Amino acid sequence: MILRRIAAILFLPMMFAFGSGVYLYLGTLKSKVIKTRADLPTVTKPRLVLPGTMFVVQDGRLFKLKDGGFSEIGGPGDWSQPTLTPDHTRLVAVLRNGYSSDLYLLDLDGHIVKRLTKNDSRIVDYNHWAFYPRVSPDGSTLYYSYDGPKHVDSAPGDDLSIWSMPLNGAQYQARRRTDPYWYTGGDVSPLPLAGTALLYVQHSIDPSTAVHSQIRLQSRTGDLVGKPLTGLADDCSQPALSPDGTQLAMICTGGKQTARLEVAPFNGTSLGPARILLDGGLYASPAWSPDGQALAYFAPSGAAGHFELWWLAVPAPRILGVGRGRRLVDRRPLAAGDPRAGAGHAGRRPQCDLAPRLVLSKP
Amino acid sequence: MRLVILTIFCLLLAGTAGVAAYFLPVVVAGVGQTGQTVVVPPSNSPGGKATPTPNAAPGAPFTVLLLGSDDDGKNKSPLTQSMILVRVDPVGKHVTMLSIPRDLWVPLSTGGSAKIDAAYAIGGPVAAIATVERNFHVHIDEYAWVGLTGLIKLIDLLGGVDVFVTNPVLDDAYPDDINGGFLYGYKTVAVLPGAQHLDGAHALQYVRSRHNDINGDFGRSARQQEVLLAMKVKASTLNAADLPDIVSALNGKFKTSMGLDRVRSLLGVANAFDLANVKQIVLYAGLYTSYDHGAAYGGASVIIPHWSQILAVTRENFP
Repeated sequence: MILRRIAAILFLPMMFAFGSGVYLYLGTLKSKVIKTRADLPTVTKPRLVLPGTMFVVQDGRLFKLKDGGFSEIGGPGDWSQPTLTPDHTRLVAVLRNGYSSDLYLLDLDGHIVKRLTKNDSRIVDYNHWAFYPRVSPDGSTLYYSYDGPKHVDSAPGDDLSIWSMPLNGAQYQARRRTDPYWYTGGDVSPLPLAGTALLYVQHSIDPSTAVHSQIRLQSRTGDLVGKPLTGLADDCSQPALSPDGTQLAMICTGGKQTARLEVAPFNGTSLGPARILLDGGLYASPAWSPDGQALAYFAPSGAAGHFELWWLAVPAPRILGVGRGRRLVDRRPLAAGDPRAGAGHAGRRPQCDLAPRLVLSKP
Repeated sequence: MRLVILTIFCLLLAGTAGVAAYFLPVVVAGVGQTGQTVVVPPSNSPGGKATPTPNAAPGAPFTVLLLGSDDDGKNKSPLTQSMILVRVDPVGKHVTMLSIPRDLWVPLSTGGSAKIDAAYAIGGPVAAIATVERNFHVHIDEYAWVGLTGLIKLIDLLGGVDVFVTNPVLDDAYPDDINGGFLYGYKTVAVLPGAQHLDGAHALQYVRSRHNDINGDFGRSARQQEVLLAMKVKASTLNAADLPDIVSALNGKFKTSMGLDRVRSLLGVANAFDLANVKQIVLYAGLYTSYDHGAAYGGASVIIPHWSQILAVTRENFP
C-alpha cells in the first residue's frame, strides 16, 4: 500500500513532465515565419568572395562587404540608398528620421563629411523628403528626388521631382529638373549620364487610372518631362547602367506583384530589345559588377522568405532564357552575443529599401 | 497489466492537459472572437435581396466580407475604412476579391442613406453585411473584422509582408494616432516604390494612406488587396500550432462569424491557392460619380454608384 502511494506520488511529477513536454513539443511545430521573427540584423558571412567592395544597407545600418567579410560603417540612424561618387572616395546616403529624410556625404568608413540637405522642421507640414542620391559622372552634381514644391491646393500630399545641386554647394542652389505627374508619388531613381542627360523613373496613370512606372530620358536640362524609353504597360523601374554605359538593367512588373529582371542595350538615346534574366520574383535594386559581367540584386528566398542578397552572372546577349541567381549571403541571424546585434536597432524597416553598390578594388 | 493501463491513461491525461494548456488561448478567443452569430433580417426595400440564405456547405464556394476599422477612438463606433468581398472556391481553388469604396453613398439596412462605411458603426456586422448584400445583390456567408493594431500585430507575427509598391506613397497628413497621444495628430510618411519588406506599422501606412493618391480611396483599395495577398503568401506557411500566437496577436482586435474549424481550414485553403488564381477587382472610374462636399450628402465627399454597371460586375464574379 505504501509502495503504491510512493509510486503514485512519484508518478505525479512524471505526468507533469510529460504534459509539459507535450506543451513544449507543440511549440516546436510552429511554422518557420512564427519561430524566426527577424528582429536581429542578419548580415552574415557571404558564400562568395567577390572582388571589389559592395555597400549595402540592412535595417537602416550601413555595411561594407569587402574581402569576403561584412563590416558595419556609419553612425546610428536609419540609413539607406548609399551611392558612390565617381572617384570612389565618398558615399552619399539618405538618413531618415520620423518625418523627413536628408542626404549626407560620407567617407568610405561611414563618417559624416557633410550634411547636404536640411529637410526637417518642427512643423510637420514643412518637412521634406530627399531620396535616391546619385552623383553625375564628372562628380560635380548631385541628383536626387525631392518632394518640392508642395501642393498648393488642399490635398495634403506631395510628389517627388528630380532635383540637382552642386555636390560641393548648398541646398539653396538646387534646381528642379523634372515635372512629375501629380498625385502619383512622382519621379524617382535619377541616373545622370555624361553631359546633362538624365535617366529617371516617372510614375503616371493610363486612361483606366492604373498607375505605371516608366524609365525616361531627359536629354537636355529644361525638358521637364523626358522621353519614354520603356512602355507604359511594362512598368519598368530601378534602372542600373552598366559601367561601360551600353546596357541598362531594370526591374519590370507589367502591373503584377511579381517582377522581371531585364537587361536591354542602351545607345545613349534609346533601348534595344530587353532580355529577361529572371522572372516571377520580387527582385530589387540591381547593381552591376565593375566589369559589367554580373548583377547583384535583392530578392526573397521562396514565397515567404526574407530578402537576401543575390549575385547573377549576366549571360552574353545571344543567350536567351530565364536564369537563376546565386545566393550571396546566408541569412542566419547574428549570434546574440555579436556586438552588431541590436546596436542602433530601432525597429524593423523595409529591408529592401537598399541599394547595393559595387566598386572596383583599389589597385 | 493494470499498472500499464493506468500508466498509459495517466500519460494520455497529462498529454491532453498539455494540449489543452497550449490551445487554451485559442479556445478562449474562440468563445469571445470567433463564431459570432449574425442574423441578417430580410430586406424590406423593394428590389432588395431577401436574406438570410443557408450558409455554404462544406467544400462549396463561400463569400466573406472583410472589414477593417480605424478603431483609434475617434468614433464611438468605428467606421469601416476597408470593405473587401472575398469569394473563396475551395474546390476550384479560385479567389475573387472586390473592394467596396468606403465613400459609396448607399441606402443602409438600418434606414436612411449614408456612406457605406457608416453601416458597421451604426449597426455592427449585421448592418454591414445586410447593407452590402442588399446593395450589391450578393450573399455573404461570413464576416471578419480587424482593427488597426490587430493588423499591425498580425503582420509583425508573420514576420512582415513582401509587396511590390507600384509608386511612391507620400502623405503629409497621415494619422499619428496609433501610439497614444493626440487622436487627431498627423505626420508625414513615405513608402518608396519597388519590392519592399514591410513590417506591421509600415504595411499599415501603405494601406491606410489616402491623401496623395490620384485614385483616392480606390488606389488605397488596390493597395489593401496587395497587402492581403502578401499576407496570404505568408499565411500559407502557418499551421495549427501557430494559432495561439495568432490569437494572442489579435487579442480583442479581431472578430469573425467563422468558427475555429473554418478558420483552421482556411489556413489549409490558403496553402493550396496560387496567386495566379486570385482575381482582384477595384471599382474604378466609370462605375461611379464623385461629389465633393455636396449639400445633398451632408457636405461629405461621396461616390454615387452607377448600379447597373456595378451589379454587372458583382453578378459575374459573385454568382
